[in-house]
Amino acid sequence: MKTNYLLPYKYKTFGWILLLIGIIVGFSLVLTDYESDFLNVKVLAIFNDDGIFNDHKGFFKIINNSILDELVAIAIIIGGLLVGFSKEKIEDEFIYKLRKDSLVWAIIFNYMVLLVTVIFVYGFTFFDVLVFNMFTPLLFFIIRFNFLKIKSSRHDE
Amino acid sequence: MTNSLKVQRAIHDMTQADLAEKIGVSRQSINAMEKNKYVPSTVLALKIAKLFNQPVEAIFFLDETD
Repeated sequence: MKTNYLLPYKYKTFGWILLLIGIIVGFSLVLTDYESDFLNVKVLAIFNDDGIFNDHKGFFKIINNSILDELVAIAIIIGGLLVGFSKEKIEDEFIYKLRKDSLVWAIIFNYMVLLVTVIFVYGFTFFDVLVFNMFTPLLFFIIRFNFLKIKSSRHDE
Repeated sequence: MTNSLKVQRAIHDMTQADLAEKIGVSRQSINAMEKNKYVPSTVLALKIAKLFNQPVEAIFFLDETD
C-alpha cells in the first residue's frame, strides 16, 4: 500500500516515549494550575498581551516565560503525530482503512464531547476543556486506531 | 461480499499468518476478510486468487446485500 504521508516504522517508539512524557508532565502541570517557574527563559513573542502593567505588550517582544508548558505541548503534538502517522510494522490496505476510519471517528467524537462541554461547562473549568481540546483529536485518534488494531488481530469470536 | 478464504487455507494447510506473509499483508487483514469485515481491493483479491491458483470468483462471492 503506497501512502505518501506516513513516516517509517522506526519513528513509532520514539513517538510513544515523547507522547507519554508529554502527557505525564502535562497532567502534573494541570494539577499545579500551570504555576511553574521551571525553565524560565527569555523567548521571542510574536505577540504578547500578558499582564496589565507590562512593558512588553505587543508585537515582537523579548519576554520572560517558563517554557515548560510549551515543551509539554510540543512533546504531545510531535509524539502524537509520530505515533499516529508512522507506518505499522506491516502496513497494508486494511491498516490504512483502519487509520482513516479512526481519524473520522476521532473528529466526530471529539466535537461531540466539545459540544457537550460547551453546553454544560462554565467558568474557568471551560479553560481546561479548551486546553485539553488542543490534544484530544489526536489522542482519540491514536486510542481508537490501536483499539481497532488489537480488536482485529483477535482470532475467531 | 463473502469468501472462501478459510476453506482455501485449510486445503493448502496454511495459517492466517502463513497466508498473510505469502501475500505481504498483515495477519489482521486476513482475519478481517475471513470474518467478512473487510472487502479487499481488487489487487489483493487477485493476489490471493493467484496464490491459490484459482479464478477470483472461486474465492470471493457477491452476496444479497451487495
